[in-house]
Amino acid sequence: MSALNLFAGPAPSAGAESFTDHTRRLGVRPKGNRALLDTLDRSGLVGRGGASFPVGTKWRSVAGRSRGGAVVIANGAEGEPLSRKDQTLMALRPHLVIDGALLAAEAVGAKRVLLYVGEAHRVAVASMTRALAERPASDVARATLLPAPPSYVAGEESAAVHFVNSGVATPTAVPPRPFERGVDGRPTLVQNVESLAHAALIARYGDAWFQSLGRHGAVGTVLLTVSGAVIRPGVIEVPSGCTVDEVLELAGGVRGTARAVLLGGYFGGWISSSRAGTMALDPKGLRAAGGSLGCGVVSVLDDVADPLEVSARIIQHLANESAAQCGPCFFGLRSLAAATTRLARRQPDDGDLAHLHRWAAMVKGRGACRHPDGAVAFMQSALSLFEPEFAAAAGGRGRMVS
Amino acid sequence: MNNTILWYTTRGAGAVSLVLLSAVVVLGVLSTLRYESPTWPRFLTTGLHRNIALTAVVFLALHIVTAVVDPFTHLGWLTAVVPFSSYYRTFWLGLGTIAFELLLAITVTSLVRGFIGHGTWRAIHWLAYASWPIAVMHGLGTGTDTWSVWMLAIDAVCFVAVLAAVAARLLTTSPDPLAADRARFRERVSRKTPR
Repeated sequence: MSALNLFAGPAPSAGAESFTDHTRRLGVRPKGNRALLDTLDRSGLVGRGGASFPVGTKWRSVAGRSRGGAVVIANGAEGEPLSRKDQTLMALRPHLVIDGALLAAEAVGAKRVLLYVGEAHRVAVASMTRALAERPASDVARATLLPAPPSYVAGEESAAVHFVNSGVATPTAVPPRPFERGVDGRPTLVQNVESLAHAALIARYGDAWFQSLGRHGAVGTVLLTVSGAVIRPGVIEVPSGCTVDEVLELAGGVRGTARAVLLGGYFGGWISSSRAGTMALDPKGLRAAGGSLGCGVVSVLDDVADPLEVSARIIQHLANESAAQCGPCFFGLRSLAAATTRLARRQPDDGDLAHLHRWAAMVKGRGACRHPDGAVAFMQSALSLFEPEFAAAAGGRGRMVS
Repeated sequence: MNNTILWYTTRGAGAVSLVLLSAVVVLGVLSTLRYESPTWPRFLTTGLHRNIALTAVVFLALHIVTAVVDPFTHLGWLTAVVPFSSYYRTFWLGLGTIAFELLLAITVTSLVRGFIGHGTWRAIHWLAYASWPIAVMHGLGTGTDTWSVWMLAIDAVCFVAVLAAVAARLLTTSPDPLAADRARFRERVSRKTPR
């Protein structure tokens, strides 16, 4: 069931694949060109950083403005606390990521490639540094490794651009978006490292091959980070379109009884385990079902854990990660976190629960970046799925539904 | 009979527009002062600013449309669009046209702020400081009711309110309540980057 595509080749215990082994196994990297944009469009590959935006469309928007001077940022900041897939990919298959970044540079007309790797991900940084050194001089001349500060918003694309330009990884007001005016005012492609690694294989084997990897109408494979109440937590690669139940089985099964699954990470949402089981892990399908694959986080909450306590911890983390640039985000998330924490301690103030519903709706769409929107989406999924627990904590007897 | 209704509507809507636009300017200035109190949260300032502005646009449209279609004045649609094109009170009506077009630019850019970027929006929003005084001069210069006591009273109240708000804006500094938190966060995510 588990699909080995990005992780085909030597076993994880062998560590990072060397450039020699990588080239021997997959052949010499083809050159990136405009035809690759068409191949990517046809492949149906979507971004794996969280937004699931079509990769071909994104590259095209930069290529159209580039005039040869664009910049590519390979985004491996991975500030999502529950995600490990990007750092694992960079640790084990650094050359796939670098291949993808160079292909992107050639396809969109960029001279400069920045490998933006979360500095806290020590193994990934070491692996990428070593990998770059193994590369031919022509590759080394184009690519630079740039450690990213450890923060949730550092991986947001305008924050990545701001970091390169000024050394401060905070989001900036858009427009102009990075593809219009990014690093040094040039059109800039900010693309998640997993998306780039997929592109490196699509460039070699074609779009039909990529589509054949998926199941039930979905395309390709996805990297997931499975955590929480499972026997073997970790990063796995599965065909796009397989179900949550199949994924949990690969992770050794659920430890105890599952109550809910957090899909997509801190910006994702809680889904009841009964509903989640049959859901297909496919970016497009999940969106249609009102969920989100986000950055591929699948975290299981068992029926022993207190969902309010876990939710309070997550919303508190997101509040702490606000860059304090926009009032609604900074004050709004702080208030949401404080009220959720009081409810989780079963010591609520009057009106805390009503406030949570009201404030969540008010904060949405009021930030320069999407940080508050992601936090609110999470909050609202918690309020909806754990409604009985929240109502009991608020001291009420629940609300009339009809 | 019909044209009397139109004429009274023009005058009435003009006076109402003045009051509403003055309130919008005062609220806009207050929002930059970050004024708040236990009974007046800050989002109330911006919420009122936005909603009264949209209401004012409606009254302004009424003011312009009734003036143009009024058969007595023979103004024509060109007057509403091209400044100083009117045979009648060329200068004073021209000021009205200019104030209206500046306001149109401010309104439209506010509606599409997400698409044009904060910098462009803000630069154009500053035109409010030109639009309002030009509109006031238009009213004083050509208003049929300019010298009636009630209109003078309205003018005086609007003028003093806007002047007081602008003076407060120039004289007081409003500390950014997020400055310390923002500095702390920026420190956390700042590094020297190799250029």
